[in-house]
Amino acid sequence: MEHLIRMLAVTLRKAARLLPPGRREWAEAVAAEAGQVPPGWPRLRWLAGGLWLVAGEATMMRKMVYWLGTGAVAAAAAWVVWLSWRTSPAADAQTVTDRVRVLVGVAALVVVPWVGRRRGWFGPVGSSLTARLVRVAGCAGVCGLGLTVLRMDSHLAPGPHGPGPFSLTHEIAALVLLGIAAAALVVVKVRWPDADPSVLWGIAGTAGLLMLFVVPLQALVIGYVAGIFAVTSRRSPVADASLAIGVLTGLAAGLAIALAVYELNTPTDRYVDLMLLITFIATLLFAALAGAAAAWLLPGTGESQAVRMARTQQGLLAGSVAGAVCGLLLTNFFVVAVFMLIVGPVLGAGGGAIGGAVAADHPLRSLPVRSWAAGLFVRF
Amino acid sequence: MSRRTAFSAQTLAVLAALAAEPSAWRHGYDLARETGLKSGTLYPILVRLADREIVQACWEDGQPAGRPRRHLYRLTIEGLAAATAALAAAPAPGTRAARPGRAAAPRRLAREGP
Repeated sequence: MEHLIRMLAVTLRKAARLLPPGRREWAEAVAAEAGQVPPGWPRLRWLAGGLWLVAGEATMMRKMVYWLGTGAVAAAAAWVVWLSWRTSPAADAQTVTDRVRVLVGVAALVVVPWVGRRRGWFGPVGSSLTARLVRVAGCAGVCGLGLTVLRMDSHLAPGPHGPGPFSLTHEIAALVLLGIAAAALVVVKVRWPDADPSVLWGIAGTAGLLMLFVVPLQALVIGYVAGIFAVTSRRSPVADASLAIGVLTGLAAGLAIALAVYELNTPTDRYVDLMLLITFIATLLFAALAGAAAAWLLPGTGESQAVRMARTQQGLLAGSVAGAVCGLLLTNFFVVAVFMLIVGPVLGAGGGAIGGAVAADHPLRSLPVRSWAAGLFVRF
Repeated sequence: MSRRTAFSAQTLAVLAALAAEPSAWRHGYDLARETGLKSGTLYPILVRLADREIVQACWEDGQPAGRPRRHLYRLTIEGLAAATAALAAAPAPGTRAARPGRAAAPRRLAREGP
C-alpha cells in the first residue's frame, strides 16, 4: 500500500506539469495536503482525487488526444482508399462498386464534420472525454467497414453474398436524391426558420429511406457517420453516461455474438437459424440492460412523471446506441451481418425502451450522504 | 463576479463551510473533512469558485516544520455575499437536492449556465 501511495504521489506531481501554469498550483495543493490525510486507503483516495482533478483540468491534453485520434482516422481512411485502388483491376465491376462505396464513406467522414463545424445537429463535439472517444472510435469503425467491403470482394465469389454489380444509374439517382434532400433542408431552414423540427426530420428520414432502397450500403454508411456525429455533439440528447453504457454494452454484445457465431459456424450453414436467433435475442437483452443502467444513472430531480419519461428516453437512446455499436462491430467481423446495421439499432431501441421503462419504475435507492467516485458526476 | 445564483449541493456545502468563518483561511483537507467531500470533488469546486472570484486562494507564508506549505482558501467579500444569498435560497438540509454526496442537482444546474 505504501509503495502504491508513493507511486501515486510521484505521478500526481509529474502530472501537475501537464496543466497550464494557472492550474498547476491546484494539483500541487492536493499533493501538499496528502501528508495530513491518514495513511492507507484515505490517503490513496486523496491522491487519486488529485489525479482526477488533473484529468479534468487538462483540457488541452484532451483536445490533443482528440485531434491525434482524428488524424489517425484520416490516415486510416486514406489507407482504405489506397487499398481499394490497389487490390483489383479497375475493369472488374465489383472493384468499381467497392471504390464507390469506400469513396462515399470517406466523403461522409469529410462532409459531416465540415457541417458539424457550426453548432447544430452534428457538432461541435461534446466536451466530455466519452463523446470525443466515441466519435473517434465510431469513425474508425466506419473505416473498418470499408476494409470489410474490400475483404468481401477479395474473398467472396459473386453471388448472394457478393456486393452485386455496379450500377451507375443507382449511384447517380442516389446522388441526385441526396442533393435534393440537402437543398430542401436548407430551403426550409432559410424560408421558414420557425418550422417544426419534425418537418426537417421528416425530409431527412424520407431521403434516407429512399437512399436505402437505391444504394443500401452507401446510405447505411452515411447514416452511421451522421448518427455518430449527432450522438456525440454538444446538442445530443444522449447523456454521457447513457452514451458510455450504450457503447460498452454494444461492444460486449457484439463480441459475445461473434464468439457464438464462430462456435456454431459450419461449412454447410447448418445452424444459421440458431445463429440468427442468438443474434437477435442477445442484442435485445444487452440493449435492455443498457437501457436499465442508463435510466438508473440519470439523476432524478423534479416532477416524478417527467423524471420517469426522461429515464425511459435515456434507456431507449442507450439501447439504440448499444444496438448500433453491436451491428457495426458484427459487420466488421462478418460482412454477411450487414443487416444488423439496420436491425441492431431497431432491436436496441426496443430493448432499451423496455429496460429503461422497467428501471424508471424501480429506481435504485438513493446513495448515502457522502461523496462518491472522486467527483465522477460532479459538475459545477 | 458570477451572475449565477444557483449552485450544486456539493458547492453549497463548500460555501457553507467557508462562510461559517469568513475571515479564516481554510485548507483543503480541513474543508474535505467538514463537508465529507473527496478531493476529486472538492478541488474542482474550489477551482471554479476561484475562477469566479468567489474564493481567494494563496499559499501559506513561510515554511512550516515537518510538512509542506498548504494552499489556503477563504471567501472574497463578493463571495461572502453570493454564498449568503445562495445558502439562504438553498433547499432545506436533508432534502434530496441538498445532499452534498448526491449529484442530482449538478447536472441540472450545469445546463442553466452562468
